[in-house]
Amino acid sequence: MNGELQITDCECSIQNPKSEIQNLKSEIQNPRYRLTFATRRTLAYVSVLELGKIWERSLRRARLPLKYSQGYNPRPRLHFAAPLPVGCGSEADLLDVWLEAPVDPQTMRTVLTDVVPPDLSVIDVRAVPEDEAALSEQLVAAEYRVWLRDVDPQIVQSAVTDFLHSDTLALAKRGRKYRGKTYNLRPLVEELRLEDAPVPWTGLWMRVQARPGATGRPDEVLKALDLTDAPRRCTRTRLILAV
Amino acid sequence: MTTIQPIPWEAIEALLHRVQKPGRYVGGEYNAIHKPWETTALHMCLAFPDIYDLGMSNFALAIFYELLNARPEVLAERAYLPAPDMIAQMRQASLPLYTLESYRPVAAFDILAISTAYEQLYTNILELLDLAGIPLRAADRDATHPLIIGGGHGTFNPEPVADFFDVFVIGEAEAVLLELIDTWQAHRHLPREDQLRALLDVPGLYIPRFYQATGEFGAVVPTDPAAPARILKRLLPTLPPTPIRQLVPNVEVTHNRAVVEIQRGCTRGCRFCQAGSITRPVRERPAAEIVESVAAILDATGYEEVALLSLSSADHSEIKPLLEALLERFAGRHVSISLPSLRIESFSVDLADMLSQGRRSGFTFAPEAGSDALRRRINKDIATADLLAVAEEVFRRGWRTLKLYFMLGLPGETDEDIEAIIDLAHRVRRLGLDIGGRKTEVHVSVSTFVPKPHTTFQWAALADRDTVERRQSLLRERLRGRGLRLSWNQYDSTRLEALLARGDRRLNAVVEAAWRNGARFDAWDEWRSLEAWERAFAETGFDVDAALYRPRATDEPLPWDHLHSGVEKRFFLRDYRRSQAGELLGDCRESCHACGILVNYPGMWTAEWECPEQRGVKSKE
Repeated sequence: MNGELQITDCECSIQNPKSEIQNLKSEIQNPRYRLTFATRRTLAYVSVLELGKIWERSLRRARLPLKYSQGYNPRPRLHFAAPLPVGCGSEADLLDVWLEAPVDPQTMRTVLTDVVPPDLSVIDVRAVPEDEAALSEQLVAAEYRVWLRDVDPQIVQSAVTDFLHSDTLALAKRGRKYRGKTYNLRPLVEELRLEDAPVPWTGLWMRVQARPGATGRPDEVLKALDLTDAPRRCTRTRLILAV
Repeated sequence: MTTIQPIPWEAIEALLHRVQKPGRYVGGEYNAIHKPWETTALHMCLAFPDIYDLGMSNFALAIFYELLNARPEVLAERAYLPAPDMIAQMRQASLPLYTLESYRPVAAFDILAISTAYEQLYTNILELLDLAGIPLRAADRDATHPLIIGGGHGTFNPEPVADFFDVFVIGEAEAVLLELIDTWQAHRHLPREDQLRALLDVPGLYIPRFYQATGEFGAVVPTDPAAPARILKRLLPTLPPTPIRQLVPNVEVTHNRAVVEIQRGCTRGCRFCQAGSITRPVRERPAAEIVESVAAILDATGYEEVALLSLSSADHSEIKPLLEALLERFAGRHVSISLPSLRIESFSVDLADMLSQGRRSGFTFAPEAGSDALRRRINKDIATADLLAVAEEVFRRGWRTLKLYFMLGLPGETDEDIEAIIDLAHRVRRLGLDIGGRKTEVHVSVSTFVPKPHTTFQWAALADRDTVERRQSLLRERLRGRGLRLSWNQYDSTRLEALLARGDRRLNAVVEAAWRNGARFDAWDEWRSLEAWERAFAETGFDVDAALYRPRATDEPLPWDHLHSGVEKRFFLRDYRRSQAGELLGDCRESCHACGILVNYPGMWTAEWECPEQRGVKSKE
């Protein structure tokens, strides 16, 4: 359905190294581009599969020569660095796109800007080496800003303090096949603090791990802070790749 | 007065983390049209009374969205009924139903058009009005409320919901909507009653307040001298241009693809089929126009799939050259083309083969009845031997799943006809095994027949529960085993559909009572509440059995006789007698059977019509 999206839609998923090896063999001829993009408002509420389709259709509207896989159900090669949780926008997310033929990155940015949906913006496009490792393998951490409403900042502060002082925070794993299993959220959260936010919001800032098999999610952090029901606006502000 | 200020984004955002699939409630789709509120003279809301996933897949709404917004002075926005979880959140937060473009309350619009595409939407219509803060009954509304109009196949018997609407559009709304809004604009300063009186001048509008029902299941007659006794549906001589800048949803929906309507109507005359009769005459879009439209739509949307919509795809006179042209034009662009509603014939297998490009998902046929004799009664002209030959061809060409659609409870059906379904399914299954091997599957889907208004079977009774459930269990017992799958309808759901399809004006009280008892989403197994309906029947004293199980006499008035699809009642009556005698009626492209269309729309014939130009004269080729 939605291309070769590298899906890490649970707190601990493992990339499939085999597909990367195959990719290196067969796609060596195809130029690869890295898009930096932002999503906001309406597009914060799509799943990673849906965002893949939104990108596929935007790239098709731009008439860019997308590289498709072989076989009966050809899909374009699009790799995100990490899935955005539903309910979360982004200020700087990364997507690698493979084309059939080279295109000037500036031209690509211009044509895409005209055809993306209203709440999607293209910040940067640049060519990257075809044999570079997958984005998801380079990713080590992600930073999120979460604004909360209808909460008492002092209660949030004390929940954050308790969170940071604990060694183990067991949360239920997501997904049917993990029913009854738990994982420890605490080591996945590298930093967590309150920060300034405009009225009426209470701001939270966090930096979580985002490695294969070890991905912290902001909604899970809110769950651990007992803020599940608070209205929120969540934004991923930065993806951090290994140097 | 209702506020016309948009609902602040923050108020909507505050609910979204509590609901499933929040992307349904925010809009932001590519190709959505945002017009300025203050500088547009007429504000229209197009609403589909079921969730976004279905509403976005409704092609009629796409047509009106583009048609209305093409007028500079008109602003048209969309609203869908939220799923129960979001409805609960909105009610708790006192948030009214809003449109997805400007987030304005639906009640702030001048006109609210609600799709009455099928009967199980009726309680949802009340939920939609209530969530919008609009009084349910037309009698309780005045000129400060939106004008509520209904359109869609359900309007060919709108009596069960007549009290809730101001106006029904009978027939093709493309032909009448602009006249409707122009007339209303000229009279919008008047009280609602006078606005509606002015609309009596627009042909094709049914305005229920100027009519009354006579007796139980009786005729509906005008109470005002200006109201026409019979309302002839409106139609367009040629198909309207197909929408090009089609909406592209951000979240997954039921049909997530581009659509081009290649043909409207059907010449086959299946006696159970309401769509086939109310969409006559058959008009086809020329192949060259279709190809250009598909190209323009793909450029404007980026869709990777296009569906060629019609009631019987293989009947388009240029279908093969059309598909060849599309395949050639879009080769290498990774576009898949889907062709619904294929007939059981080897030509259809050829067409599907052309489009599948090596992929072989499922193939679907609708024999509708198990035996040759019953298929003759319903005018489905295919013999079992031919059906098996086509099924063999399907397996030979590499398909491994064949779906067979049947109906149960057809007029004149006996247990032998059910045996025939079982036998046919097993024979097809064996063909699959022999040709395709153990992985082949035959899916048998059996829905229960509902006699619909404006069809040959409109006088027939609904099959009773005992008969239907006994035959269903017969199918369950005998269609077992590897590679066979069976699905069927719950009888309670069929009974409700039949009641709403065939009811008269007394049903308004029942529908409202059911809604007050909590009935919503009657088409959804997980949300339907039959208990709410049973209580409503008890509270209103409505005799459901009398409504459903009595065949209507052919000389008694029917509650939908005042609405005229262009096909004459006497044609249906003759055809009903032919059915009882087991006689087939041929494809009406070959020779005209005088259904009434040519007489009722004199001077409208165009070359796009499949009707012979004159009765009995074959005009084409």
